[in-house]
Amino acid sequence: MEKEKNDAPDRELSFVTGGEVNVRQDPWWWLVVVVIAVVLLLILLAPVPFQEIIVFAKDGILVTILVTVVSYFLMLILGLFGGLGRLSKNKLFFGISSLYVEIVRGIPLLVQLIGWYFASPVIIQKLGLWTGIEALIQYRANPIITAIMAITVCYGAYMSEIVRSGISSVPRGQMEAARSLGMNYFQAMRYVVLPQAFRVILPPMGNEFIALLKDSSLVSVVAVADLTRRGREFMAAHFNPIETWLMIALLYLIMTLIAARVVSYIEKRARYDR
Amino acid sequence: MSEPIIKIENVHKRFGRIEALRGVTLNVNEGEVVVIVGPSGSGKSTLLRCINRLEEYEKGSIIVDGIDLNNPHNINAVRSEVGMVFQSFNLFPHLKVLDNLTLAQRVVRKREKAEALEIGMKLLDKVGIPEKAEAFPGQLSGGQQQRVAIARALAMNPKVMLFDEPTSALDPEMIKEVLDVMAQLAREGMTMIVVSHEMGFARAAADRIIFMDEGVIVEENTPQLFFTSPTQKRTQDFLSKVLQI
Repeated sequence: MEKEKNDAPDRELSFVTGGEVNVRQDPWWWLVVVVIAVVLLLILLAPVPFQEIIVFAKDGILVTILVTVVSYFLMLILGLFGGLGRLSKNKLFFGISSLYVEIVRGIPLLVQLIGWYFASPVIIQKLGLWTGIEALIQYRANPIITAIMAITVCYGAYMSEIVRSGISSVPRGQMEAARSLGMNYFQAMRYVVLPQAFRVILPPMGNEFIALLKDSSLVSVVAVADLTRRGREFMAAHFNPIETWLMIALLYLIMTLIAARVVSYIEKRARYDR
Repeated sequence: MSEPIIKIENVHKRFGRIEALRGVTLNVNEGEVVVIVGPSGSGKSTLLRCINRLEEYEKGSIIVDGIDLNNPHNINAVRSEVGMVFQSFNLFPHLKVLDNLTLAQRVVRKREKAEALEIGMKLLDKVGIPEKAEAFPGQLSGGQQQRVAIARALAMNPKVMLFDEPTSALDPEMIKEVLDVMAQLAREGMTMIVVSHEMGFARAAADRIIFMDEGVIVEENTPQLFFTSPTQKRTQDFLSKVLQI
């Protein structure tokens, strides 16, 4: 904001890139500070049980972050191909991606998670018996990998629709101009259409990250020791549901609030003058 | 005159039930400036877009600089020989002006960065706005944007330039700056096909004027004869409407 008062020659340009976003100018950072302060205060005033909860659940926090970040990046890749497929003139590619999106979107994530975890190993073992491959017969589901796979497949379908709408929002003339300069379809997508679509899908992409972070708590039902599951274990051992779930909720809140601030920071940086 | 650089032979194109082109045949020689005029919906823009295959046509053939467009493998080859300027500019809004000029040079022509930048700056000089190299398209006036779009097409060293109503989206006071650039190109010997409503430009810069109506070429002539003694009734009607203003 200060830059607009300056009469520097590059004033116009700094306006276009959105200027430098000052962290202190985003008042919602205060909410993050307040929530962290509340957590620290609770630990200070009542180390038992609040500090105990954090010490007990800290590996759960790491698992939650791991599952969230890994499935997020995998589902972005899946969503990119799904979205391109939904816009493809190739009937096979279009058919497969449309079927994928329509089916996966209609089934609850929790059902998908349980299905992947309990049903897929049985199918693979049966396949092993049928083909006689020993490695498949011995197959046991790895909870974390299965959970990441299930979330990726589910969120990839949502992401496909976001990518599709983002690409559709780029005027057709952009593709035509790129093609008329001799670029092929992939070059035009990569250098012209996708960079513009990216700015449009950035806000929903950020929302998906936060939604995924919260939905990652569902993996606790398939033996993944994430934050939620560690909370349940602590409560079962100490019989103090109020303190446990207060602390777990606050820890999730810190993560989602920070993610929301980062998303809004990136959005401001990516804004430009059309 | 040697072989025509563009040979259009009996081209047909339809959009659903509407016949946009109904057998168009047209040859354009190297260095020639052809202006296509006609009422809206007459198929002028469609014909232009067929020449670099932005539209596909059902029947007929188009050969550009010896490359047959009916063979789909040739499309990218033709497109990099044919520059296109659009009514709505279609600059890449996420790239600076200079990057708009260098992108296709680097990706399609595989030029080194330094060479692409040098060519880009030279062309910005040519269209008269070198000071806007670091600006974004959104910060430019319509006339400036269209001049950048012309420079962007020229950066590929096209043999032919196609202009699809290049001044129709411009405010009146910006039309001249774009037409001046186009007139200069014509003087330098660029082969140009221009779809335009600018009769003044047609009169001054064209070697030949083509009048299209309802998907066919109704009349073609030199500017001199076209404006003074049109032979067809439809041409006379059209001219009486556009020239009385």
